[in-house]
Amino acid sequence: MKPSRLPLVTSMLVLGFFYLPIAMLVAQSFNAAKFGGQWNGFSFRWYQELWARDDIHQAAWNTLLIATASTLASVILGSLAAWCIHRYKSRTQRIHYGLIYAPLVVPDILMGLSLLFFFVNIGVSLNLTTIILAHTTFCLSYVTLVMLGRLQDFDESMIEAAQDLGASWPTIIRRILLPLLGPGLAAGALLAFTLSIDDFVITFLVSGPGNTTLPVKIFSMMRRSSPQVINALSVIFMSVTFIIVLLSQRLSRPQS
Amino acid sequence: MRKPRWSEALLSIPSFGWLVVFFAIPTVLVVALSFKPTDLTGSAGSGWTLDTWRSLANPVYPLIVWRTIWLSASCTVVCLLLSVPVAYWIARLDGKWRQRVLLLIILPFWTNFLIRIFAWRTLLHPDGYLKSIGVALGWAEPNDQLLYNNGAILLVLVYTYLPFAILPLYAAAEKFDFSLLDAARDLGATKFQAFRSIFLPGIRTGLLTAFLIVFIPALGSYAIPSIVGGPSSEMIGNKIAQRATTDRNLPHAAALGTLLTITIFVPLGIVALLRRRDRLAAAARPSLPGTLIP
Amino acid sequence: MGAFIELQNITKTFGSATVVSNVSLELNQGEVFSLLGPSGSGKTTLLRLLAGFLTPDAGRILINGRDVTALPPNLRPVNTVFQNYALFPHLTVRENIGFGLSVAQREPSEIITEVDRMLDLTQLHDHATKKPSQISGGQRQRVAIARALINKPQLLLLDEPLAALDLKLRQRMLIELNKIHEEVGTTFLYVTHDQGEAMSLGDRVGVMNHGRFEQIGTPNEVYEHPRSRFVAEFVGDTNLIAATVIPVPDVGNLGLRTDQVGAVEYDLGPQRHHGDVLLTQKTRDIPTGATATLSVRPERIAIRRDPPPIAHEQNTIHGIVEDVVYLGSRTHYRVRVNDRLIEVWKQHRRFLPDYAPITWHEKVWLSWFSNDGYLIVEPTSPA
Repeated sequence: MKPSRLPLVTSMLVLGFFYLPIAMLVAQSFNAAKFGGQWNGFSFRWYQELWARDDIHQAAWNTLLIATASTLASVILGSLAAWCIHRYKSRTQRIHYGLIYAPLVVPDILMGLSLLFFFVNIGVSLNLTTIILAHTTFCLSYVTLVMLGRLQDFDESMIEAAQDLGASWPTIIRRILLPLLGPGLAAGALLAFTLSIDDFVITFLVSGPGNTTLPVKIFSMMRRSSPQVINALSVIFMSVTFIIVLLSQRLSRPQS
Repeated sequence: MRKPRWSEALLSIPSFGWLVVFFAIPTVLVVALSFKPTDLTGSAGSGWTLDTWRSLANPVYPLIVWRTIWLSASCTVVCLLLSVPVAYWIARLDGKWRQRVLLLIILPFWTNFLIRIFAWRTLLHPDGYLKSIGVALGWAEPNDQLLYNNGAILLVLVYTYLPFAILPLYAAAEKFDFSLLDAARDLGATKFQAFRSIFLPGIRTGLLTAFLIVFIPALGSYAIPSIVGGPSSEMIGNKIAQRATTDRNLPHAAALGTLLTITIFVPLGIVALLRRRDRLAAAARPSLPGTLIP
Repeated sequence: MGAFIELQNITKTFGSATVVSNVSLELNQGEVFSLLGPSGSGKTTLLRLLAGFLTPDAGRILINGRDVTALPPNLRPVNTVFQNYALFPHLTVRENIGFGLSVAQREPSEIITEVDRMLDLTQLHDHATKKPSQISGGQRQRVAIARALINKPQLLLLDEPLAALDLKLRQRMLIELNKIHEEVGTTFLYVTHDQGEAMSLGDRVGVMNHGRFEQIGTPNEVYEHPRSRFVAEFVGDTNLIAATVIPVPDVGNLGLRTDQVGAVEYDLGPQRHHGDVLLTQKTRDIPTGATATLSVRPERIAIRRDPPPIAHEQNTIHGIVEDVVYLGSRTHYRVRVNDRLIEVWKQHRRFLPDYAPITWHEKVWLSWFSNDGYLIVEPTSPA
């Protein structure tokens, strides 16, 4: 019985579809021409221009700072949340789970809007801190789900065995939980980090004047049409993300 | 071992509390704000009113809502149509290749989505390559607009959300027992019949998840219509952002936001009902008479 | 007095279900106690109560005179061999075994010596640096045992440790467990639903059902003198015949009037008596008219094509062979007597070339002696 060709063909088309704009971006970033229309020869000039732009450097720095801070916060909060939801099957935890799950179903714009109103209402001015608080909030849910998946695969009897052999909770955490759940934590952290550096809509709404992140900067640059530099910036941004993703893939590989 | 209650409370408070403060309360705030009048600075004035909601009766809003639903639904349908064969194909690959292909699919997904939208804007630009190729092949007229219209939005929406659809469908397909399809063929079904009546129901949970995971975020799109959509292609997201930032009319934005939230509850409710029906059906299924195997 | 390990009136409920019901048990130092019962009998709960993973709702647990009821598992001088072994996948065999000692912060040199000793005991020396995923099921089980024993616990709990192994391996491991016990002398509590394991390993066997002990005794006691119908049927196979006690003209025996096995003949001296009365050895005083159950094990019943010759204190019934199962070393027969099926096992002790084996639909005579059966008198009030 020969399997139908349709799935294979569709998949190939879809993959091609995925990489078309990306291939074009990369190519264009080396295009010496000012506008995308024609090819004017290979050139590094856009990367050079990028190098000189201080405002972009500042935005990149902000992005990194925010991502690190929110990753740290969301990993701690998310791990605690996953632990509670997994270990205590109570009504509180069911509500807890609902609270964790809800942000995932809410579109960015609504979350950004609600956080904006929140900050305005309590009189906080919008700055890097508000962005960090916002990012932590949505990263929290993702980290929790990753950790929950890990915990579900975790053999509970190992904790009992460790207790049986005399270990108290600090020892159990240090010698059993962290080594075995570590890769999951790392995967969650990487996920949070990538989500944070990627975020646009929420950041757009809760950032104040004078502190932009890279995605917001890219957006305003698009408005102002300096297209080629964006290409170069995009390629660099992409490469960094690719490396992070490859790292996360390596770390989340299940233990053989 | 019965743990004292305080340890559960203590460990839950950080994330529970965080989400209440930074998620639950702000969400409630939005709804509350929609019932307040706008003051001179654009923030919420004192007292309560239904005027903000009444102002939504302006004919432009229902049109926007309709367009938003229509574009999101079309995007969802296209995504599902494309991702089911892809998920099927990946699930049938063997281990090594599966990982590689999944990585290939995820990789573009991890580039910043603004960048990808921007790439499409360049591609679809009147002076861009696609147009030139299209004209050269006789598929398009020189005056055709590929950009700044509903079509462009739909294209980029599909591009953005296709991976979101593939992943849960793949997860469901991976758990699917493909020997069931062989059994169906053995009993006389054609490939398509087996696919339709065995495979599709078998990945039902994946289909529902994929539906939610595409449709709902699509409803809230902002960046995509903002960048590749024209003035006649606005979605709710645009209007919300506009009211919240440029127009500085927060109660209005709140009303629109609440409207969007309500729009989201509909698909959520439908899926929840479907899931509940599945669960009840599974529980009520009569057990097979006797056991055939001793 | 005080035995080495005592459970005093332990009760444990989950929600509305009482899983362990007012159970008391004494374990002697150095013995192997087999805790035998079907699933749901409460045996695993009892094990977890001893280990400390559950707290009893009532009762006390004493180990060597010390009340450990409130102690968490990491502070009890008890170690467990888990059913799924629960080995730490990220640690080597050596590190797994030495875990308890390193948690107790013993000297590294001491740990090495002790681990080596355990590796020798369980013959795992060649696998010391491997990870659990790299060794076989039987080897993992030995690691689990070594990991528990190295801490020299006062009680070792084994939770159905052989359940995941295939038959031959199980038989080998039983012998090994016996050897290990002889070498270390620790008190073992062995939980299982397999009566073969329970009897071959245990110095004493406790049969549990519905949260309480139905009988505690040596394997021989439990097998030969079951205290209840449940024990008679759960430990080995048996035929149960309901009857009423009547006197017979012989001081050493009791008569059992029954309508379950049709026409019965019993022999006293040279006299064969026909009727509906069976003979059973009188081991204790039972009043006339009491209802009781006679338990006769299938291996105790002789099966013949003709009525057996008269023999003192012999019971004979007859029926038609309905089922024959040939097992090589013996044949199992199911004989329809009246409207009951009686199970009979015939050992093939001699090879008889001209003998045609008894087969289906043959009329056969079944006989046993009055001291081959055991009379079970259960309290008439419901449990």
